[in-house]
Amino acid sequence: MAETAFSEGYVEADGFRIRYMEGGRGTPLVHLHGAGGLRLTPAHDLLRRHFRVVAFEMPGFGQSPENHRTASMPELASTMAQAIKRLDLDTFNLMGTSFGGKTALWLALQEPESVLALVLEAPAAIRQAGARSPSGSPEEIRRLLYAHPERLGSVPLPDPAVWAKTQPLVQRLRGPDRDADLEDRLQELPTPTLVLFGTLDRVIAPEMGRVYRELLPSCHLVFVYDAAHAISTDRPEAFAEVVVDFLERREAFVISRAETVIHP
Amino acid sequence: MKVSFFETARYSAPDALPSEWPVPSGVYDRDAGAQAYRGMIERLEYVEELGFDWVSVSEHHYSPRILTPAPIVSAAFIAARLKKITIALLGPIVPQSNPVRVAEEVAMLDTLAQGRLVVGLLRGTSNESLTYDLNPSEARERTDEGMELILKAWTEPQPFGWQGRHFQYRTVSIWPRTLQQPHPPTYALGTSRESCEFAARHHLGCGVSYGSFEAVGKATRYYREQCARQGWQPAPEQIIYRANMLLADTDEEAQESLRKLPGQAPFAMRPGVRDAMMTLDSRNIAGEARAPIVSGALPTTFVGSPDTVVEQVRRCRDVVGAGVLDLSLHPPGSRDLDPLMRALELFGRKVLPRIRDI
Repeated sequence: MAETAFSEGYVEADGFRIRYMEGGRGTPLVHLHGAGGLRLTPAHDLLRRHFRVVAFEMPGFGQSPENHRTASMPELASTMAQAIKRLDLDTFNLMGTSFGGKTALWLALQEPESVLALVLEAPAAIRQAGARSPSGSPEEIRRLLYAHPERLGSVPLPDPAVWAKTQPLVQRLRGPDRDADLEDRLQELPTPTLVLFGTLDRVIAPEMGRVYRELLPSCHLVFVYDAAHAISTDRPEAFAEVVVDFLERREAFVISRAETVIHP
Repeated sequence: MKVSFFETARYSAPDALPSEWPVPSGVYDRDAGAQAYRGMIERLEYVEELGFDWVSVSEHHYSPRILTPAPIVSAAFIAARLKKITIALLGPIVPQSNPVRVAEEVAMLDTLAQGRLVVGLLRGTSNESLTYDLNPSEARERTDEGMELILKAWTEPQPFGWQGRHFQYRTVSIWPRTLQQPHPPTYALGTSRESCEFAARHHLGCGVSYGSFEAVGKATRYYREQCARQGWQPAPEQIIYRANMLLADTDEEAQESLRKLPGQAPFAMRPGVRDAMMTLDSRNIAGEARAPIVSGALPTTFVGSPDTVVEQVRRCRDVVGAGVLDLSLHPPGSRDLDPLMRALELFGRKVLPRIRDI
């Protein structure tokens, strides 16, 4: 379902050949994946009904060759900003998942005029002391990331070889648990931001959500009940509903439109 | 052992009442109601004087048996009138409540009561799902989610939204917060596997009620096992056992009172509704299926003279592991209050001082 609605493309940017999946029409929604790489979830399919979704595979992840060059998260963000420009996306909504949440924040800091709104799914930019990025066997990683692995459906488990290939890059770029430079800059970032955490997140403590709200001038925090780190796989409908509502209405999304008339 | 008095606001109906639940509002006697609440405070002043640690209130609807559909209101009233005793709010029924409202009311009550509050959260008895049209098959999930949201509303310092399965909010940020930190001692009430696991996961207490020591002991054992799995050990005070007690000067007298107890709940659902509820409302003790209690009388697990009851309390401590006994000293709903007052006095004089160290 999700697979067929998206088409694959490649873009040359900053010396990398970058793969992406694209589906849907409307305002662009760029997605930057987590440390596990690009995988389309049912949430992508729900989002492409409202937006032109462009989900990138960042250099060094998934099918791309090992990335020895990128040295820092701001550098990766700059590469991705160039890729987005090459696709002629002047303004766009930006969604970052976990590791990609930090990339998305740096990209928004670098291109504040281009990013209309930010969605951070279980972002890994601000972490509890001693947080470890998921590692171990595919089965262990699966138990760590998902509250409802049964909802993974046909999505394959992480390939240990690919995981091993990306680990040096992830470790190089993830930065300290608390990145003072980034946190200073966030206080000046005007972009409307939605931060989501699953109530069962075992990778990043959901309590980290409040720090974004304290730092960012325009930030909303939403807990997704009964979801772990991979919110959009555990509860895709709940995830997509609030993301769509936020991106369409920005901060007015706090005003309910739910109808409660039972019978006219 | 800590001791709690389960206060039900005894309503003495001037005339015979219909026996079916719901009891028609039209037969309610307003003066008898006013007397029930006056009597509640007089009785609780005595309960406090006798040295009970807690007074508990619960949520039940549409009948005079327990006249507290809004336990938070009774709790607030009691907290204002009594100065020392801890108020145990062993309601509210979470699946039919607005969890954010519950979080706010409890926070306000804890602050009004200067921190003299403990809270039990629960799914509620089967008939209560008829009260506000709750689908019994959704009750368990709504309870778990509602409890989790209440805990979040108490502890999260920043405004947040909640994208739940049964509850959705875009803005939650409660004022006042609870006086006790991070929140009042909180219990998940119930014998089910789900309730015990929730309590263990969130480091809450566990409250069980009415079953035999062996039956509720299965639940508390499961609860302790789950706590150990989560890497912690509950204190005795984190297990409450609510039970009926028939106390008399002699064992014979107590047994005679037991024989006179009706075998049916005073206000039962119609048989057709009861039978349908039995199939729709699934219940368990630590994972073992049990029938929902829909119209049977609740068992009485402490019966006898003070000596006998003290031994039963000792056994209860061993089997159930409870550190708090929440007692009904006379069947709720019975009209004659004299035996209750006699039992209270006897309990205060001859039982309470002897079970402190158990």
